[in-house]
Formats: sequence, structure tokens, C-alpha cells
Amino acid sequence: MRINIYKNIAIPCTINFLFKFMRIQLIIVLLFQTVCMAGTLKGQTMNNTRITLNGQNISLKAAFSVIEKETAFSLGYNTKDINTDQKVNISAVNEPVVVILKKLLKGYKGEISQVNERNIFLKVTRSEPHKDFIEHENAAVVNVTGRVIDDTGLPLPGVSILEKGGKNSTVTDNNGNYSISVPDHTILIFRFIGYTTQDQTVLMKEGNAVTMNVTMKTVSNGLKEVVVVGYGTQKKVDLTGAISTISGDVLADKPTPNVARGLEGVVPNLNIVMTDGKPIRSPTFNIRGTTSIGGGGSALVLIDGVPGDPSLLNPNDIDNISVLKDAASSAIYGARGAYGVVLINTKNPKKEKTMVNFSASYTINQKTVDPSVVSNGYQWTQNFVDSYTAWYDYRSQPTTINGVLPYSPSYLDSLKARVTNPSLPQVTVDPATGKYLYYGNTDWYKELYRQSMPASDYALNIASSTKNSSFYISGRYYNQKGIYTYNPDDFSRYNLRMKGTVNITPWLTVADNLDFNSYKYFYPLTNGNAPVTRYLDVTATPMGILRNPDGSLTPSSYNAVGDLASGNDHSNTTQMYIRNTVSLNADLIKNYLNLKADFSYARTNYNVLSQFYPVSYSAGPGLTGQSVNNYLNNSGSITNYWATNVYAEGKKSFGKHSFKLLAGTNIEDNVINTSSYQRDGLIDPSLPDFNLLNGTNYTIAGGGNEWSIAGFFARLNYDYDEKYLLEINGRYDGSSKFPSYSQFGFFPSVSAGWVMSKEKFMSFASNWLDMFKFRASYGSLGNGNINPYQFIPQMAVAQSTTTSINGAYPTYTKNPNVLPTNLTWETSTTIDAGVDFSMFNNRLSGSFDYYSRATTGMFTPSQPLPATFGAAVPNGNYSNLRTNGWDLSLTWNDHISQSVRYSVGVVLSNYTATITKYNNPNGILPYGVNTYYKGEKVGEIWGFTTQGLYTAEDLAGPHPNQTNYIVVSNSNIPLPGDVKFKDINGDNAINIGKGTLADYGDLSVIGNSTPKLPYGVNLGLSVKNFSFSAFIQGVGHLDWWPGTDAGLFWGQYNRPYGSIPTSMLANVWSPTNPNAYFPRYRGYVALSGTRELAVVQTRYLQNAAYTRLKNVNLTYTLPQALAAKLKMSSAKIFFTGQNLLTFTPLHKYAPNYDPEVINGSDPEVNPGVNIGNGYSYPMLKSYSLGVNLTF
Amino acid sequence: MKKFVLFFIILSIAGFTSCKKFLDQEPFSSLTPSQVFQNSGDLALYVNSFYVDQTPSAATITGTDNTSDYITGNTIPPLMSASTNANNPVADPAGGWSWSVLRNINYFLDNDNSSKIPVAVRNNYNGIAKYFRALFYFRMLKQYGDVPWYNHAVAPGDSSLYKPRDPRTLIADSITADLNFAINNLTETKDPGSSTITKWVALALKSRFCLFEGTFRKYHTELSLTQTASVFLNASLDASTQIISSGNYKLHNTGNPNSDYRALFTTQAPWSDEVLLASVYSSTLKLYSSLNSLFTSPTLGFRSSLTKSFVNCYLNADGTRFTDKSGYDTISFVNEVKNRDARLQQTIRCNGYKRSDGSAAPPDFSYTYTGYDILKFTLDDKTLDYSSLNNNSIPIYRYAEILLNYAEAKAELGQFTSSDWAATIQPIRQRAGIAAPFPVTADPYLTSTYFKDISDPVLLEIRRERGVELFDEGMRFDDVKRWKEGPMMSLPYLGMYVPQTNTYYATNGDGVLNVDFVSTVPAPTVKGVFYYLVPVTAATLTKGSSGNIHWLPNYDVQRAWNDKYYYYPIPAPELVLNPKLKQNPGW
Repeated sequence: MRINIYKNIAIPCTINFLFKFMRIQLIIVLLFQTVCMAGTLKGQTMNNTRITLNGQNISLKAAFSVIEKETAFSLGYNTKDINTDQKVNISAVNEPVVVILKKLLKGYKGEISQVNERNIFLKVTRSEPHKDFIEHENAAVVNVTGRVIDDTGLPLPGVSILEKGGKNSTVTDNNGNYSISVPDHTILIFRFIGYTTQDQTVLMKEGNAVTMNVTMKTVSNGLKEVVVVGYGTQKKVDLTGAISTISGDVLADKPTPNVARGLEGVVPNLNIVMTDGKPIRSPTFNIRGTTSIGGGGSALVLIDGVPGDPSLLNPNDIDNISVLKDAASSAIYGARGAYGVVLINTKNPKKEKTMVNFSASYTINQKTVDPSVVSNGYQWTQNFVDSYTAWYDYRSQPTTINGVLPYSPSYLDSLKARVTNPSLPQVTVDPATGKYLYYGNTDWYKELYRQSMPASDYALNIASSTKNSSFYISGRYYNQKGIYTYNPDDFSRYNLRMKGTVNITPWLTVADNLDFNSYKYFYPLTNGNAPVTRYLDVTATPMGILRNPDGSLTPSSYNAVGDLASGNDHSNTTQMYIRNTVSLNADLIKNYLNLKADFSYARTNYNVLSQFYPVSYSAGPGLTGQSVNNYLNNSGSITNYWATNVYAEGKKSFGKHSFKLLAGTNIEDNVINTSSYQRDGLIDPSLPDFNLLNGTNYTIAGGGNEWSIAGFFARLNYDYDEKYLLEINGRYDGSSKFPSYSQFGFFPSVSAGWVMSKEKFMSFASNWLDMFKFRASYGSLGNGNINPYQFIPQMAVAQSTTTSINGAYPTYTKNPNVLPTNLTWETSTTIDAGVDFSMFNNRLSGSFDYYSRATTGMFTPSQPLPATFGAAVPNGNYSNLRTNGWDLSLTWNDHISQSVRYSVGVVLSNYTATITKYNNPNGILPYGVNTYYKGEKVGEIWGFTTQGLYTAEDLAGPHPNQTNYIVVSNSNIPLPGDVKFKDINGDNAINIGKGTLADYGDLSVIGNSTPKLPYGVNLGLSVKNFSFSAFIQGVGHLDWWPGTDAGLFWGQYNRPYGSIPTSMLANVWSPTNPNAYFPRYRGYVALSGTRELAVVQTRYLQNAAYTRLKNVNLTYTLPQALAAKLKMSSAKIFFTGQNLLTFTPLHKYAPNYDPEVINGSDPEVNPGVNIGNGYSYPMLKSYSLGVNLTF
Repeated sequence: MKKFVLFFIILSIAGFTSCKKFLDQEPFSSLTPSQVFQNSGDLALYVNSFYVDQTPSAATITGTDNTSDYITGNTIPPLMSASTNANNPVADPAGGWSWSVLRNINYFLDNDNSSKIPVAVRNNYNGIAKYFRALFYFRMLKQYGDVPWYNHAVAPGDSSLYKPRDPRTLIADSITADLNFAINNLTETKDPGSSTITKWVALALKSRFCLFEGTFRKYHTELSLTQTASVFLNASLDASTQIISSGNYKLHNTGNPNSDYRALFTTQAPWSDEVLLASVYSSTLKLYSSLNSLFTSPTLGFRSSLTKSFVNCYLNADGTRFTDKSGYDTISFVNEVKNRDARLQQTIRCNGYKRSDGSAAPPDFSYTYTGYDILKFTLDDKTLDYSSLNNNSIPIYRYAEILLNYAEAKAELGQFTSSDWAATIQPIRQRAGIAAPFPVTADPYLTSTYFKDISDPVLLEIRRERGVELFDEGMRFDDVKRWKEGPMMSLPYLGMYVPQTNTYYATNGDGVLNVDFVSTVPAPTVKGVFYYLVPVTAATLTKGSSGNIHWLPNYDVQRAWNDKYYYYPIPAPELVLNPKLKQNPGW
């Protein structure tokens, strides 16, 4: 035997050598084993099975393992009875197993029993030497009965009980009772999800009946948990990389249009930012903060091993999620995993069980924030006039209200008259012009938005498995009604998943996983194609009303709401996604070599059909007009994706040394084809079909791109006694996004772990410290997250829509993009150090990681070029970034009594990112210019320091001249109450100097927009059949500059004809309110340029930190007995509330903003453009009631 | 087993080699340069982008004159606003310090060199490119004076990105060279649709540009280029002469002096007898402008209104000067517009103007501040006022301008004769129904109000004619700059004469009362009457309870002319990026 040889192997010092060596060894071992195993299985007994075993000074354990490997017998014994580290000498040539065992166990007495074809049980005691063992080749059959309870004493139904190596199995009933007949000395395996699997040996005493009661222990801290890692699984204790896992339970019973919403804040440093509340919103998953300012990059999300969009998933399908955070654990995914990987795994049927689960819920949604604006027409108009005239230095009066309503002083008087006499008509006709005059008091937010919106969710899944096959079918329907009063948006999602497995032979399994999902979203549009909220702000004044006395739309409403009320303009978005994965799993050599192959195909059809039909309105009796757009547009894309993975994993242990080697290849290809066609002249707005158009203008456009990647990867795991752990990864990746000379890159990583708690010197702590592990990893990954064809000059062809030549719209092409001189992978190199621990009998567990990630060669502009260059500055691998941070998670899990359990979990993280290289030779500041400089903290906000508001004394006395830069009015004449800025550089003038690092005038860094200390707190409590959980999520600090056009913050400081937040009224400067927050009431000063509120400054910088009660859940589980009567194995009724409470300093001055929806407008309506912060789809809070039944 | 391993090794090697191919992806929905410059169709495809980039919209053409002396509106010109500076720059409506248009042209010229295409074909397209490059640099020259000259698409590392400005002389000579190339290589066939660049269009630009440059050098003596002014004036003259003598174009004259002029701006198809190039709109294409909304809306537009001092320049129908009449400055509106140059009633609402439905449309004081309510570009269909559905094409170059350019160049050269008069100004005036004798005396009104240093009666009349004929076609501020008559921009914004307040007037001449100038709105009000509030901060009457409307009197000081306005400011960050680039004086 080669046992001695192994003992002498030192760990090779070079990876390469180890790698080669392992390969050779593995092959030899495999060859030998295959030969050896042939024909020995069927009908083997310990007497007729003969092997050869020679060894000097080998341990019993090693000898046993050789026997096990060469005979396919499993040896069962009690480790208390046999010291397996004991060294023995053995010399046996072609002798029966039982004889060899007796030789080995010299010095013991007892019984050697063959339990079945695969198991031999050694019942020995370490006492007087005994010459003879009692042998049983056919053990007696025993009837085992018992009850399985959990660690609180509750019975556990559905626990599967298997005969180790045998055919018998059973499941506990609703009361946790079971019975099974097996040979004596059989090992019974007790298995239940969420609990530690237990082995119990059947020991016959007297008679043929044995009672065996088992208490299952929860795997609360997951020490024994198996974690899904790249291309495989690993025991959690063996992990060396920074990996967080969560179970699908966090998503259970949280009705939501989108899984991603349920994951926010659950995993430390998995940053999911929901930019708004739209049901179709699919956020990106960021791991550990700023990744790259060049190619950018979010985490790679794999669903059952294939890239996918998590927001499309049925939350009920999710079994568990692993988040691979450091380079080492995501290295196996190479270039696409540069910024971490999220592995989402769907459920599989439980072993040899059939289960039907149905859940249904009904939800009431409400907006988290209801904008509160002034609706009193007189008050609004007074403010309008104030702000308008103030901007024009009190020199000119308005003559119109934003072109929608005419204005004159007498109009204001008429409004005032209506304050004292509300019975005066809301609409009159101006005899001079024949046009309507409006005197309404409309709160458009009340008029246009519903107060509550229903949603419903139904899900059914059926899972069944037999010994050789299994299937899982799940379906879900979710519907959410939208926020508008007229033609509200309407969202439906359909999910279907079918999974099946067949064991074709004992060593070959074929599986299929089909995912089909689809959504439909009806969304109202406006004829000007801007978000409704934006129109409310700039077009619909409170005086305006929806309809004229004759029923026609008013000019004031037609833009903002006419389209809603008429239903003429809207879009129907449909997306259909189908994916199928076929996979093969071949146990080429059982327990040693396993080959997996899979092939996936996915197709996404995305389609938006939008229609615009003119909306008529009337400015006065007989004075009608209409909006312009009249067309039908269909824009869509079809994405075809395929991927295949082939990989093999071999493992082998030699004593305390275990090796695992994985190697494989991955190929992916993605083609997207887009198309868009449009024709004008819709005949009937209720029949939007391309047959029913009579316009002569057509536009048809195509487009698309293709990319492909190919990679070869390998991973080696080594552990010594589950104490010292080492993992080496390497991936060689190629991408079509780079020119052929720089297509490929090799990215290695290494990680190691040390389970310190297993060391002897830690024995003093063994009664309170369950586990303590150090981890460290280092690795580099490539990032190829750029658009395809960046290195190829492209000349797009387009048709003009604004110029006509020779009676037609010309088709044209233009000069190509300027190419980068070199283009290759960005490299992200991460070093990570962390600890995992669990103590006090697993009641407290947690982990902490510190990491530092350097992103080098980021794909950024070479350097800012003068405008005379005339093109976008070409990007190349020019800049570097370093992100440092940490993440922490802590869980306390305990029970007060058998029926009262509670848990508290905290996740917390933080990071900062610094630019370490950027080509900005002139040192231009990132102030109004899109650039960076070396040493810049990513997210930093440059701005002025506000000293206060001018007093008359300030202006009369000497003060720094700020009128050369800051503008307060059309003629720029500052008055008391205008914003006063601090002269930081002491030159007696307020300006930005040259706007460079060398000459920055009075600018300084006044804040940072990176979220600080995002956190989540999980609370759980269960009392008997009731369980309660709460999830609180928040951000410690975040500086937010409202920006221009943020009408819901600036009110009429932005545009005099904008809406006025009610909270602003008391905070406006006046001679009698000199300490107000907002300055002198002037219009347009927040709108653009260097106006006093458009310049970034300290006074109006907001802290958008928040603490939000994201989720509360109260579940009542029907008592088992009652459920059983209803033929159910479990029945739950739950109430879930989401986003119920929010605490944020933002609401002091910006109560119209939800802290999670501060940036952006509506990306579907205005792609790529922010037309004002706060005009997004609102965030929703929800109250759900539902049932969850399992049969 | 060994076979198995071998198989895998072979498979991996095979996989790897095919991988190389697998990873070479080419774009399939856009072209690459090697596919573009192959035949004349490709070149046509490319040059279309120049049209798209540089064809002004109707709103841009008419909006350009919102910065001028003769139009006022809801605010003062942005260039003169206190908030304008290098950090808050404003730019010409056609574009500011942006150079992407030029790069696109230069890239074409750099790459149009396939020997598969006949040289003549390439030169025709290169001619179009050079026409548009000349147009681009003309705009830059007008805005910024000296600018860097580039005749190739610059590489990112090219040191020429950091060069100082090239002198005006180089820019102007290069523009001329480009135009000469275009003139020599473009098709001579006139475009009946007035939408493509031909030799005649290039000549029109040359006529306009060389007149600009010649007069600019003549009057801007601080440049010390007066010696070279005549070179450009002669070049302009030459270009104009070629167009005139070709016989391809004439004044659009159907013998209806009351409508021929306005027809040029209100029809869908450009009048190609006069119009060389137009910004073309089309109902068929659903390509519309919003001119009616801009000019006929109390709310949407700038509310452009003519000033009184300019309206005074319109002659009487008999060819005499309005301002020679005694009491011309206290004449009421209805009498003021009677028996005048027929272009006045085709430029503003007066004399019983009616909409297409027959309804009377007096000057509407919710559209105009001065009482001179522009109708030159609007359609008579009332429903268009509320919709952006204008299909009328707006000329970019027309024959009347060529005649005016010719006349002015000749006059500035001191070569103007009575036969030149008969060939240029006279037919223009005759189309407008007025007698046009050769002027022999200088108009004291023009010399006192506008052109204090000009004594040549002919030149004064040519300038008058240019203003009247080309009113609001986007050329006035350029004229002000090249004549170095900046102070014109500071003339008070005066409106119509109001004999007295608190009196109802019928400004349409039909007796229907439509306006009353009041300090407070009386009760009850009269139907159809606009109550114009004076005095208020934005509007007063020059003599208190009577006199001309004085619009935005408070801004007269702010609008004081400053010579820095002859050029626009260069955006401040550009001076940091290229330290050799210096700011224009005064900014």
C-alpha cells in the first residue's frame, strides 16, 4: 500500500508543483479504485471479501479508510470505544475483511457485525485483550420506534429517517413519531432541513423492539451548513473566502413585486439601492461599495448557476442565497465576478417526499410620502408674484403664469375675493379675450393620486421525489394596481418554474430546470413625455382645475393630467423570459470524481408599445387646441443567451489531509437585437394596432450587439483536519469586448483559514467558544464590464427627425467614436481578512471582514481635453481606485423557555473609496465638471460655505464681493435675506477661482454622497404558535444636494410657477422672520447656473440618513393537531407590513422626499436624463394579510 | 481512462483554438469606416449629417433677432444680463463653444479618398463639407473673433489642442478658401426644393460672409485690418454678381405688393424663384415648427415686439420718409400705419388684419409689449396658435439679401451708381409697392437715431432697406456688430404712441375698441378690451399720462452698451484646459 508514501509528503512549496502532482496522483488513484471496485458490491460479505493490506506504523483510522475504500463497506463504530489514532502494523495478503479487522483490533473485545451489504458495525470495548470477536454476518431485524423533537421540545413532523447503506426509510408523522424495521447495529440517519443531521446506531437490547427518541438541533449558526460556492458547495466551516449566506426564509411571506426589494439591508455590504417604487424597477446589486469609476460594475447574479435578473424570480422559489464578496471566493467566475457574485439557488424537492404549498395574500399599498403642497390659489399666486418680481429685482410684474394662465393684478384681486367669498365661481370667461379665467384651489396630488392601492399574490408549488427521480413545479401570479386616479398603472407578474431530476444509472443524473416568467406593465404617459409629477410642478397650478364647465380639459390640466384623464397616452410594457438548463451529473468514481456539465439557453423578449394621441383642451368657449403627438411606437429587444459549463471535481483524503480539485471551462454568448418602429396617424386611440394607422411617416430602427466570453478555471482546496484551510483559484478568461491582442487575462487568487478553536491550546475555552476561525484572502480579477466593440470605430446610421432634405427625412452617418489607444481588462485586486466565530453554545455567532480593493487600469477618459477636440474623450485603462471597508454581522439566538425563542441580528458595514490615479493634469475640480483627481474620496461634494443670510448692515458695510460669481436676481442686486457666502480664501470675493486644485476660490469639500454605515437589524420572537419578526434598515449618514429642478424641495425658488411645499411657508426669510432657513423669496434662483441656490453649499445640503422599519411580520401557525385534521402538514396566517415607519433628518426641510428616492426622475419616461430629483415613482408602504398552507 | 484523459486534453485544445475565433465579434448594426467611404452613396449618406447638424430651425432663425436693437420681449437679451459671465456663458442660438460639428466635417475630408470614386464626385461632396466648415467657422468668428483653426480631425494627443487662437485673418482666409472650393466643385443645378447645398448656396454664403468680414474690418479699426477690408468687399461683390448674373433667381413678385413679401415666410414649399435655401417644414412629414405658438401666445414665447424707432424707418408708400412728416412722433397707431411701405402691414398686425376665419385681429397686447405685434412668420389659421403645427418653411438665403449684399458692398467700396440702385434697392422697394427714387440727401432721422457717423445717403438707405426687408430673419445683431454700431442696442424700448390714458382705442382701424391704457382696471370692463397697465415698473408712458409706451424702462441702465458685447465669453473651464487660450476682452 501507498499509505507510507503519503505520510512522507510535505506540502509542496509551489502551487504549480502541487497542481501537477495532484493531477497525477488523482489519476493513479482513480484508475486503481475503479479496478478494485469492480464486482465487489453485489452480495459481498465480510467473510468472502478479500483484500490485501500491508502497512507499518499506520493509524487505525487510515487502515479503516483503506478497507472502506477498497471494499465499499462502511465501518461503523463508536469513537469513544476505539482510539483510531493508535498505530498498528498489519500484513495481510488476500485475506477476508473480518480477519483483517480482527488483526487490526488486537487488544479489543466485542462484536463485528455485518449489518447489510455495505455496513459493518464494530462493537468493541477497550478492556482486557480478548482473542475472539463474535461475528454476525446476518444481523437480527429490529423494530425501531421513537419520537423526534426539536431542541425546544416540539415534535418535528417530516423528518426523514434513512438506513445508512440500506434501502429502508421513513418519515416522522405530524406528532414526530416514526417506526422502522432495520437490522441490528444499523445506523439511522435523521435529516431535516434547518437541523443538524444525526446518525444514531440501533442497538438491540432485549426483544426485537427498540425505542429511540431523538432531539434534533437547529443549525442556527450554520456551522455544519453546506454553503453554495462557485461551481460547487462547501461546508461552512471550511470556507476561507468572505461569503455571506442567507436562507430563502428572509423572503418568505413578504409580498413584493420584486425579490430584490426583500434583500435590501439583509447582507452586510450587499448594497441594493431602490431608486424608486416602480414595480418593474430592477436594482443593481453592489457588493462592498465603489467598484470602478470606469467600466463600473455590479455584482454578478447567478440564478442556479446562470446569470439572471433576480427581480424576475418567484420569491417562493428561492432556497438560499450566497454572496461571494472577496476576490478569492468569486475568482472562479473570473472576469464577470470582479465585483462579487450573488448566487441564488432555487428549491429542490425534499428527499422522497411529496409536498404541496399554497400561499395567498392581499396587500394594501400606500405612498410612503404624500407630497404636501399649497393648494390655496390666492396664497399660491401671491407667492408666485413675490418670487417672480423678486427675481426681476421688483422691476417687472408677471403677465402670465408659465404660459398657462394669464396674470394681472386684477386677477390676484379676484382670487382674494374668493377667499372671503368662496361661493364665487371657479371659472369665468374674460370678456376681453373670450378665454376662461380659473380660480381653483386644486391639490393635484390628491386629484391625481390614489390614497391606497391593492395588490394580490398567489403562489402554488408542488414538489415530489422518489428514489430515482424528482420534480418541482411552482407558479405565481402577482398583481399590483398603480398610483394614479385616472388610468392607473397596472402591474402583473407571472412565474412558472419546472425542475426535474432523473437518476439514469446510479452514477448518472440528468436534471432540467425551466424558468418561465413574464410581466406586463401598463403605464400612463403624458403627451410631452415627462413624468406626471414634473408636469404637476410646472404646469398645473392650484388655480387650474381639471375640466371646464363644458367638460373639456382646461389648458392648465391638459398637459399634466389630460393625458391621464383621457387615457390617450400610455405604454404597455411586456417582458417574457424563458430559460432552460439541462445538466448532467456523473459520479465517475463515487465520492472521488464527479463530472458536471450543463447547457443553458435563455431568451428575453422585451417590448414597449406606446401610444400618443392628441388631447384636446379648451382655453375658452370655442377656443380649442390640442397636443401634437399622434403615433404608435413599438420598441423592443430580443436577447438570446447561451452558456455552457463543463467541470470536474475530484476529492481525496489522506488521513487528516483532504484535497479537493475542481477544473473546468465556461463559455457564454449573448446577442441582443433591438428594433423600434413607429408610424403616425392613430385612427382610434382605443385600438392601438399597426393596422389602424393612416400616417405617412414611418420610422424603423434596428440595432444590437453580441459579446462572448470563454474561460478556463481551476480550484484547489486543501484542509488539514478541518483546522488549516487553503484554497487556490485561477481563471484564464477571454472576452470579445477586447481587441484580440489583449483578449485574454489570467487572474489568480489564494485564501487560507485557520480554525483556531480547534487548537489544543484553546481547550480552556471549549465550554464557551464553539468555533473561532481566521480567514485571509488575496486575489485579482479582471473586469470587462464595458460595451462591446469599444475598440472598433463604429459609424451609426440614423434617420433625422428634425431636418428634411428633398422632401424626406435624411438618413445619415457620422464620424466614429475616437478609439482608445490600448484597451484591456480592468483589474480589481482584493485583500481580505476576516474572522468567523460562534460562542455560548452557538447562541452568539458572527463574522467580521476587513478588505481593501484596488481597482487598476479603470476604463476612464484619458484626460479632460479642450472642447476643440470635438468629440467625447476616448476611454482607456487610465485610472486607479482603492476601496477600503469592513463588514460585520452578529446574531444572538436564544430561548427563554421551551416555547419562547428570540433572536437579534445586526449587519453593519462601511467603506470609503479613494482615487489613486486619474489623468487630470490641470487639477480641474469635480465641481460642475465630470472629472476626478488623485486623492479624491469618491462621492465628495465640493461647494461653498454658507455664512448665513445678508442683513442690511452686512450689505451696507464692507463685505466680500459675491456678485461677480453668485447671481441672486436678473440684475444681480443683493438685498437683505439673500444668501451670504463665506470668503474662504480671503480674497474678498466669492468665486470658484479657476476651478482647479491650485485655485479653488471659496470652494471646499462640504460633504460626501456615499452612504455611511448602512445597517440592518433583525428581530425575531416566537411564542408558542405565534412568531413575530421585524427588520429595520437604514443608513448612518449620506449628504444629499437637492440639485436644480428639484421642485419638491425648492418650491418656487426653482420656478416661480412651481408648487410650494407647505413645510416651506414658515421657513422663508422676511424682515420679520430673519432667521428663517430659506432666503429671500426669489424665483429662479435654484434653477440653473451660479444662482444663489443653484450653487452647492453647506446650508442646504441635506442629511439623507434614515432608519426605516422595512418589515414586520406576525405569523400564527395552526397547532399541528388542528392542521392535521384539515389534512395539512402546516398552516400559517400572516400579517406583513413593509416600510411602515421612517425616521430621517431629511424630513426636517424636505418632507416631500422619501430618503430612498432622493435621486433621479423617471428613467422609463426620460431614459438617461434626470429632469429633477423627486419626480420618481413613489416608494410604497404596504400592509399584507395572507395564508401559507402546506399539504 | 487514459483515452478519456486524452480526449479531454484534445477537446480543450480544440476548444481553445476555436475560442479565439469565437471571441472575435464585429458590430452588426453599425458601419465601420472601411465600409463607408466606398461609393458615392456612402458619401451622400455621410454629408447628410452636416445638414442635420447645421440647418437652423425656424425658431432659431427668428429667435436669433431676439438679441437685437429692434426687437424687445419679455426680458433683455441674455448677453446683456448681469448674470452673464465666463462661468455662466451664453452663446449664439446656433451653438456656442462646441466643436463636434467641425470634427465630423474634418473626419469626412480626411477619409474621403477612395480611388474607387471619381475625383469629381468626391470633390462635389468635399465641396458640401467645405461649405459647412465655412459655415461653422463663420459662426465661430462672429461669436469669438480669433479662434483656433483645424482642418483635420485632431487626435487626442495632438499638441494643436493646446495652441493659442489663430488670427482672424487666417480664419477668414480659410473660410474664403473653403467657399471657393465649394463654389468650384458643387453642382450648378439649382435645387427647386431649396433644401440642398449647390454652387448658388455656397455663393450666397460667400456673399454674406465676405460682406460681414469686409465691413467688420472697415469699421473695427482697433483690429488694424482696414487695409484688407476691400478684398472681402470685392469678394462679396463678386459672389453676389455671379448669382445675379446667373439668372437663376429673382425677387418673388406676383404683382401683389400687399402679400408677395409675406408669402415668402408663410408657405409650406419655399418660393424657389427667390429662396436659395430654406429651413423646410412639411405637413406630409409631420415636421412642424411652433412659430404660431411663439408669436401668438401670451405665454409661450419671448413675445417679440418691434420698437418704435425701427417702425419709424418704414417709408411712406410714396417713397418719402415717414419721419419727415411733422408730428410723426405723436401720430396714433391707426394713422401711423396708413400709407406706409407695404411690408409694414406684412410684418405687424395693423390695417384691419384678419385671421383665416375672417375674425379681426388687432395688435394683441397679450402678445406684444409695444403694440407692434409680429405676424411676418405666423399663419392666419387661429387654431395653430395653441398647437405647434406650423408647416411654413423659413428662408435661410434669399435673393433679396443677395441684392442688399451687393448694394452694400458696392456702397462701402464707394462704387455705388444709380444703375446699381436700379438693379438692387429699387426692385425691392417696388415689390413693396413704394416709389424708389435714387436718394440724394441723408435721412436726418437715421443719422441722429442710428448711424451717427454715416453721411452717405445711399449707404443709409441701404442699411434702412436691409433692416426692413430682412427683419427678424436672424441677421440684425451681426449687422450691428460689423457696423460697430453697438450703442444701437441700448436705444430705449419704445412702443406705439398713446395720446392719453383712460381712453379706449381701436388699433385695428375698424372702430372696434380693443385697448385702454390705465393705471387701474375699471369696473365694469368692456368686452374685448385689453387694459394695459401704466405706469407700472415694467411699462410707463414717456410723458406720464401720454406718450410712447416705454417698455422695461428700469433696464435702460443695465442695457448700456459695453464693447465686450461684440464678442461672447469663452467658457471659463476651457481657459484652464488650454492655458494658451485667452478670454475675450472685458469678460
